Amino acid sequence: MEFHPLPQPHEITEREKEDAMGAYLMMFAAVAIGLPLPIINLIAAIIYYFVNRKKSRFIHFHCLQALLSNIPTTLINWGLVIWAVRNFIGHHEWTETFWAYAIFAGLATFLYFIVSLIAAYKARHGKMYYFLLFGKISYEAAYRVRPNDEPGTEPVNKPPF
Amino acid sequence: MSLERNLLINLLFKNMRSSTLRDLIILLAIGGGLFAGGYFLVKELGKSDLELSYEVSYEQEEKLGDLFKDMIWDEFPTVKDNAADSALKQITDRLIQALDTTHYRYEFTIIKNEQINAFTIPGGNIYVFSELMKVAETPEEVAAVLAHEIGHAEKRHVVTKLMQELSMTAIIGVLSGGDPGVLTEVLKNIIGNSFSRSQEEEADKFALELLEKAGISPKNLARFFERLNEKDLDYDENLEILMTHPHNDKRIDQARRYKVKNGFEPKPFNIDWEKVQESL
Repeated sequence: MEFHPLPQPHEITEREKEDAMGAYLMMFAAVAIGLPLPIINLIAAIIYYFVNRKKSRFIHFHCLQALLSNIPTTLINWGLVIWAVRNFIGHHEWTETFWAYAIFAGLATFLYFIVSLIAAYKARHGKMYYFLLFGKISYEAAYRVRPNDEPGTEPVNKPPF
Repeated sequence: MSLERNLLINLLFKNMRSSTLRDLIILLAIGGGLFAGGYFLVKELGKSDLELSYEVSYEQEEKLGDLFKDMIWDEFPTVKDNAADSALKQITDRLIQALDTTHYRYEFTIIKNEQINAFTIPGGNIYVFSELMKVAETPEEVAAVLAHEIGHAEKRHVVTKLMQELSMTAIIGVLSGGDPGVLTEVLKNIIGNSFSRSQEEEADKFALELLEKAGISPKNLARFFERLNEKDLDYDENLEILMTHPHNDKRIDQARRYKVKNGFEPKPFNIDWEKVQESL
């Protein structure tokens, strides 16, 4: 499997850096709007990904990493919301396991926020930052050489003379 | 050259997959660690009922019970009637005999009161209000309520409730003749506040099993609850044997669905229940 060379910070435009950073920061706002329905930030991440992924590989990588890493946190928080609603409506016991899960969800979200902030900072400076698992998947998706990327593909734009 | 390239690609591919798998395992481990941390925190912050109750010995509990008993005698008029007393004795003897082992010397008292209530204080002292006995259509229904109360005592729910409200230091203070005002507050708390749902369910389960062992149909517990529900009686809202709807329905359902062992034959009490009710 071959990969495109990684661009160095000085090769990345300011606009690309901002767009890449935006993939992480945008979610903080979305989380605030989405609470207590954690699906909003995932939808926002999906939209952001599809709008920006073709701008550059650097942006593609960061948008995808932000999106993929959002999925587990969203699922965990959804689990918490559903469990809480079920307890509330069904008058079920607020068990120790529920509170343990709530703490787990809180810690997981906090951890996710921290790494997202770091990633946003790195992206703003034109640097790569790899999350566990999602970093590798995103790198592969953004930088893997595909048949269409091979040199020799007929250029669409040609000089006038 | 092509073979070498394929080998290199395979190696890279395998490396990628194994490192991805490693990442996944690390992520799952972090998740598991966070959950275990959360569980540990919850356990530490709220010790389990049983752990809390262990902090008070049975001797301390009995002493507490004696203190509260004196206050109850001063506060509430009790029923002193041969028919009622002997009926209560017949019911409770059957229940106590059905207990395999117990740390308590149970004492049952009828309180003359217009509310439908029954409560347990520390040390195996159980009180039933006269109005509850009037509402119950059979002695078996009273037995069911008392079995539920015995469940609270045996499972040490009363002590747990005390421990949740007071510190161990405060309990020792009460035992060593502390402020009588505190004692009154604690007693009010014991009588007035309901147990948690899990404690109620545990007491119900205990009661159903005890009733079966005592040769009393466990369905009597459901019957008593249903009667209170259907008649919409003006019972004390703090009546601890009842809980808010719809949870109460769930408990009725559980009592209804309780399966007795094959060959179970209820042994009726030899009590003239109408006469007992008239005497209250």
